[in-house]
This record gives sequence, C-alpha cells and structure tokens, in this order.
Amino acid sequence: MSTLPQTVVRPEFDAGDLSEASHGDVARKLSLWEKLVDMDGVRKLTILIALMMAWEIYTRLSGVSEYILPKFSDTAVALYDAVLNDQLLIMIKNSMTVLLTGYAIGLVIATLLTTAAIMTRFGSDVLSTLTAMLNPLPAIALLPLALLWFGLGSSSVVFTLLHSVIWPVALNAHTGFMGVSETQRMVGRNYGLKGVSYVTKLLIPAAFPSILMGLKVGWAYAWRTLIAAELVFGGAIADTSGTQSGGLGWFVFANQMDLRIPYVFAGLFTVILVGVLVESLIFSTIESRTVRRWGMQSS
Amino acid sequence: MTQGAHTAAGNTPAAAAVDPLLDVDGVTLQYKTKEHLITATYRVGFKVYPADRFVLLGPSGCGKSTLLKGVAGYLKPVEGNMRLKGVDIKEPGPDRVMVFQEFDQLLPWKTVKENITFALMNGGRCKTQSEANDIAMEYIKKVKLDRFEDTYPHMLSGGMKQRVSIARGMAMEPDILLMDEPFAALDALTRLQMQEELLQLWEDTHFTVLFVTHSIEEALIVGSRILVLSPHPGQVKAELNAHHLTHASTGDPEFGELKTKIHNMLFADRILEDELAAAAAEAEG
Amino acid sequence: MSTQKTLPEPIIRPEFINENIALAHTGDVAVKLSVFEKIWNINGVRKAFILLSLVAIWQAYTVLLDVEPLMFPTFLSALDRLVSDLVDGELLAKVWFSVKVLVIGYATGMAIAAILVLWGTSSRLGGDFISMATAMFNPLPSIAMLPLAMLWFGLGTASLVFVLVHAVLWAVALNTHSGFKNVSSTLRMIGENYGLKGVPFVVKILVPAALPAIMTGMKVGWAFAWRTLIGAELVFGASSGGGGLGWYIFESSQNIETEGVFAGLFMVILIGITVENLIFRNIELKTINRWGMQR
Repeated sequence: MSTLPQTVVRPEFDAGDLSEASHGDVARKLSLWEKLVDMDGVRKLTILIALMMAWEIYTRLSGVSEYILPKFSDTAVALYDAVLNDQLLIMIKNSMTVLLTGYAIGLVIATLLTTAAIMTRFGSDVLSTLTAMLNPLPAIALLPLALLWFGLGSSSVVFTLLHSVIWPVALNAHTGFMGVSETQRMVGRNYGLKGVSYVTKLLIPAAFPSILMGLKVGWAYAWRTLIAAELVFGGAIADTSGTQSGGLGWFVFANQMDLRIPYVFAGLFTVILVGVLVESLIFSTIESRTVRRWGMQSS
Repeated sequence: MTQGAHTAAGNTPAAAAVDPLLDVDGVTLQYKTKEHLITATYRVGFKVYPADRFVLLGPSGCGKSTLLKGVAGYLKPVEGNMRLKGVDIKEPGPDRVMVFQEFDQLLPWKTVKENITFALMNGGRCKTQSEANDIAMEYIKKVKLDRFEDTYPHMLSGGMKQRVSIARGMAMEPDILLMDEPFAALDALTRLQMQEELLQLWEDTHFTVLFVTHSIEEALIVGSRILVLSPHPGQVKAELNAHHLTHASTGDPEFGELKTKIHNMLFADRILEDELAAAAAEAEG
Repeated sequence: MSTQKTLPEPIIRPEFINENIALAHTGDVAVKLSVFEKIWNINGVRKAFILLSLVAIWQAYTVLLDVEPLMFPTFLSALDRLVSDLVDGELLAKVWFSVKVLVIGYATGMAIAAILVLWGTSSRLGGDFISMATAMFNPLPSIAMLPLAMLWFGLGTASLVFVLVHAVLWAVALNTHSGFKNVSSTLRMIGENYGLKGVPFVVKILVPAALPAIMTGMKVGWAFAWRTLIGAELVFGASSGGGGLGWYIFESSQNIETEGVFAGLFMVILIGITVENLIFRNIELKTINRWGMQR
C-alpha cells in the first residue's frame, strides 16, 4: 500500500469576479481572400473553368481527331447552333412532356397502391410482393413488350416510365408510413385527429423524408429510362409521328449516326443541364425548405 | 411551495363529498406480441380526485405505462371499466393529454409555437389562430422558453423538448394530464430542475396529473398520492399519501422511512431478476 | 398563495395496503397465440399465397379469354420456354455474358470510386472535385454515353464496360463521400486518439462508420448499372459478340416470340432479386444491421 501515490491536498481558491478581466481579441474577422476561398461556389466554379480550359488546350495542342474529342469551343458553338437551328428546345419540350405525363400518372397509381397498403395488412403484403419482384426489373426491358402492345409511339414510352416511377415511389412511401414512430401516432390521436386529417396532418409530414426520397429515385429512374428509350427507339417513334423532332435522346443518337460529334457533346450537355436543374433546383429546394429545416434528414 | 402543500392538506373536503375525476375499476389490460398474449395489469382499481398529483409507481413489467395508455384510450380493457367524469373512456381525445418520455413526441416539422398551436387548434380548444397564438405564448413563457418559440424541435436540448411537451399539455387544459416517465430520459440535474418546475406550475393552477415513474424518490417528490404496483402482472400493492413531501423534505427522516417502506414493499418477496432491475432503476433515478 | 381560494384543493384520504396480493388469482399472464394465427403471421406464407394467386389470375385470364399468345402468352408457356432455353444452354450463355460484363464494370467502377474518394478525404481540392463531378455526372443517364463510348472504344465489351463504370462510379463516390463527411466527430476523435492516420484511419474508422451510406451507394450503383446494361444490350448487344440477356429479349420481340420476351424478363427479375435480396441483404445483415446502424 505504501507504494501507491497519495492524493495531494492543497488549499481551495475562488477566482472571484471574472467580469472585469480584459479578454483581448476573442474573434478576429477573416480577410477577404480567406472568405473567398471558403465559399463553395467560388472554388467549384474555378475548378469548372480550369477543366474547360484544360479540355480546350488539350484538343488544340495534341491535334486529337475531332471525331474522337471535339474542341470545347466547337461544342459550345454547336450547342448555340442547335438551340437556334436544330429545334433543340422543342426536343427538350417533347422529352419533358412524355416524362411528366409518365411521372404524374405513375404518382397517382403509386398513391393508390400505398393507400391500400397502409389501410390493410393484405394490401401491404401485395405491395411488398410486387415491389420485391418488379423493382429490380429495369423499366427499359419492358419497352419491347410495350411496343408490341401499344405500337410505336409515346404511349409505349409512357408505359415504361410508369413502371420506372411506381415501384420506387410506392416502396419508399410505404416504408416511410410504416416507420412513423408510435409516439407520434399516439400524439396525433391524442389531439383527436382522425381519418383524412390524421393522414394529411400527421402521417404525411412524418413520413415526408421517405416520400421525398421515393420521388427522387422515381425521377432518376424515369429520366434514365426516357433517355434510353429515346436513344433506342426514338427514331422509330419520331418517324411515325411524322415530324423530324424526337426527344433529347434521339438528338444525341441521330447526331452520332451523322458523325456530328460536337452536336453529340452539345446534346449530352443539355441532358446534364436538365438533370442538374431538376435535381438541384427543384428537389434541393424542397429538401432545404422541409426535411432539412425540420432536422429530419437521416443522412 | 411546501407551505402551499401543507395548507392544502388542512382545509380539504372529505373524499366522500366529491366525485372522483377518474375512476378506474377492476381493470385488466392485455396486449399481443409476435408470440404471446401478455397480461399487463390484473384487476387494478384506483380513483383520482381533482387537483391530485397521482403517481403510478412500480418496477419494469408492472404495467404502469400500459395502464396510462389505457386511460389515454389507446388500449381497451378486457375487463373492468375506466370512467372520466362518469363517462366511459372509449378512444384517445384532447381531454386527456399525454406527455411521453420520448423526445420525438414534438412534431419535427413544426416550430415550438406551432407545435402548441397545432394541438390547440386540432384539439378544439381554440377556434382562431390568433387566440391559439396568445395561449401558446403564455405557456411558452411559463416554461421559460420565450426566445425559442420559432425554433424547430431538433435544435432544442432534451430538457427543453420536455418543457415544450409539458407546456403543450397544460395549454390544452385537459381534465387530466397524463405523464409517462416524462423525465426518465433526462440527466440527473435537469430532472431535479424539471420536477421542481412541474411543482411550481402545479401551484399556479392545481391541475390534475397522473404521473408514471419507476423512481421511488421522484414519486415521493412529485406525487401527492402514490399507487404502488407489483409486477407480472401489475396489481395494486398499496396506495400511500405523499402530499406533504417535496424536494425540501428529501433529508427528513420521514422521507427516508417512506422510501424504505416502499422499497421493501416492492422488492421484499421478488426474485433476484427484479431486484437487479430495481437496482438499475435506483441507480438511474 | 392569494389564488388559493379559487383553486381546487387535493383531497387527502386514508392510505391502504393490499396484504394478500400473493393470494390473488393472476390467471394467464401470457397466453400463446393459436397455430393458425402464427402461420398467418409468417410473412413468407402470406407473400407466397399472393404470388401464387397472381400467377393463377394470369394463367386463368389468358386461357379462359383465349388471348392471342403473340400478344400475351400464358404463364405456363412462358415458364416452359424459360426452362427449355435454360436446359439447352442458350439462355445460360447469354446470362453469363451479361453477368461477366456487369461484374467487370462494377468492380472497375468501385475501384475508381475508392481512389477518387481517398483523394477527396485527403484534400479540399479533391473534395470539391468530387462534389462537382458527382453533381454534374450523376444526373447524366449513363446510357446517353453509349454513342460516345462506341465512337471511342468501338462496338464491343469495352464500350459496355465504359458505360457501366460511369453508372457505378458517381453513385458510389457521391454516397461514400457524403457518408465520410457525416461520420461523427466523436468517432473521428476516437480514431485520432488511437493514433490512426492516413489509410488505416480511413479503412478502420471512416469506412465502417460510413458503411450505411456506402451500402446505399453500392445498391444505387448496382441498380443503375443493371438498368444501363439491359438497355445497352437491347440495342447494341448483337454487334458485340455473343449478346447478353437484353439482346435475348430484343431478339425474341423482333421474332415476335413473346414467350421468349417473358422468359427473358423472368430471368432479369430472378437475377435482380438474387443480387438485391441475397447478396446485398446478407451483407447488410452481417454488418450494419448487426451493428445497429440500420433499423
């Protein structure tokens, strides 16, 4: 025992009044440069510009064939030209019309399925069996079947879009509703909420993170399916409608066939632009106004 | 505070002269798990009178939370009946507001104030938004959370969330406030503070509260009347008075004696397993 | 205490103690559920029942209404076609072709994603690059890259692998990177406390802590890759040699052998379910579910 260190007992003290002490610089302002570097947008814009310049310089110096990789400047000109002369905007509109039709109908069907699933256990079993089977099935694989049933035309594309939207939306919404905490359910019933108002005022907001997730996944699948369908069968679909203008996917495919490579790149840029616009403008705005503000985002 | 409790004891009417607010009579409650049908309470009966701080006390498995959920209307008894002001309890309603232990009882998509006004509007206490706003602000001030009224719940600490829940419960002015271990998830210091604040709020309006806890000490401090329940299944072991005890009396010999008495009552003839659970509960509370 | 007069006062009543609690008949504390209730409570039983009824409805609809088999074959004829093509090895060869390309593309994509994310965690420039590149390329359907890929790599497996890499890379990189960023500072400090730095820090702390996000990324990457592959094969499979499952479907539909289309779709579903429910589900059960990181 004698080898153990012993506690050293020392006098107590009290620092007394601390308010009069001088603190000096507690916070220093950052310099303008430090602030600029800290801004995400500024740094990303710099990287973007640097990448574009590297692309331009590489194509000019190495003399790479413009059928392999066109100059950035040529691509930009092609994009401008396509908007003015190639009816690129109309093609975007064509694509979006089909996409939105499929998305909207898909949402309605998904809502009906989910409603059935939360009302009864049998409905919930039907939904989970169907989603387990059909969610892993790429919608594009149904296109040959759709063409057989509905013929060449946008109704076939809408059919495949439906398939790509319904399952992820219904699956996520259902999981969301199931995951609403027992406490929150009891709180809602404690207020006397019942039926429709119980669903709209309590269940939907509580399950909103999952619902939004489903909407995003559904959009991502639908967008990919649409571009694939247009790439693959866009020509055929465009031909039957008698006009030259198919969708965006068709624009990419047709220009590749004609070896107008800058236009292929211009088409890809447009695809990226539309995608970024929907994902970061529409969905991000909804997200930051709802689930992020409420602190309900899981990851 | 202590003074108030004492004088209250002095000039009260006799129990027989007043109708009980809540009458629970011979209630057996059961619920299903995946494998079993569990009997949570067996023929439990008690009466809660206006202005009571009535505590349901017992170890894990005595069905006290289930009993509270029964009173709230989430669960139907298989035998016996529960009456509030002489009317059978059939379903959940805003006349019995529940304060839960879990922090997620506040709706995360509403601010502190909106959480309360939402309850007031949907619970039917207020017809107009401005009326609800006024009442909400009054109670937010009571629990000392003004400045936080426009904050979303995820920004608040656990103690603050429970304060909002209590403010919400009181703002709705229910016939009886049901509290299911509301302070169990808080740290020891915050818990002490909340117990004191609850007693102060009670001094203001003398509301009726049915309070569930597994901490003997908390029961003695918060409660005016304590129902002691035995576990597996829950049955009434005793009903005791604690209206004269508060934080100030924790050092009194009487407080210690009562505590030991309840402790022995609960754990004297129980198997080791229950004693361990109790030790854990004691260490916590 | 000026308000005391108007406030209701608590009623003090005598205490009582229930002495003979042990004598009370407690009855059944826990009653077992009946056998039927238990069987019906098994998820698998109910789902198998639903599946069988769906198949029965399909078969009955096509047989009773005498539906044109070219438009909608009976379930049994589609099943028959699936079995016979599996037995004579034609379908198996196509499945093997698809799976091979898929695995190569997936593995390459994962490897590149790993390198990118490592760069992203070690420097702010890398982090900025990842978040910008993923924001740009993630919304770009990888099948749209197929025309370019064919230009660069010709008609062949290399083009397919290129688009698959594109499909996997961004989804995995995006989720892993954001997963790493969200690892709690407590866990980071613990890792540093143990003296972990650099790659060991990433492998031993960040990866396990961010595994739920990484798994999400891998699942999304798989879903995109699988969709892209089937889509790409639908069109370009034949030109790239043996052709895969997508090509099998397309070929059948061109020859108006609708049972073949359904047989192909069955196979696609089967592979999809195998990967999602067997492979990913098992990894999740053994890791994040066991660790309590996912409900």
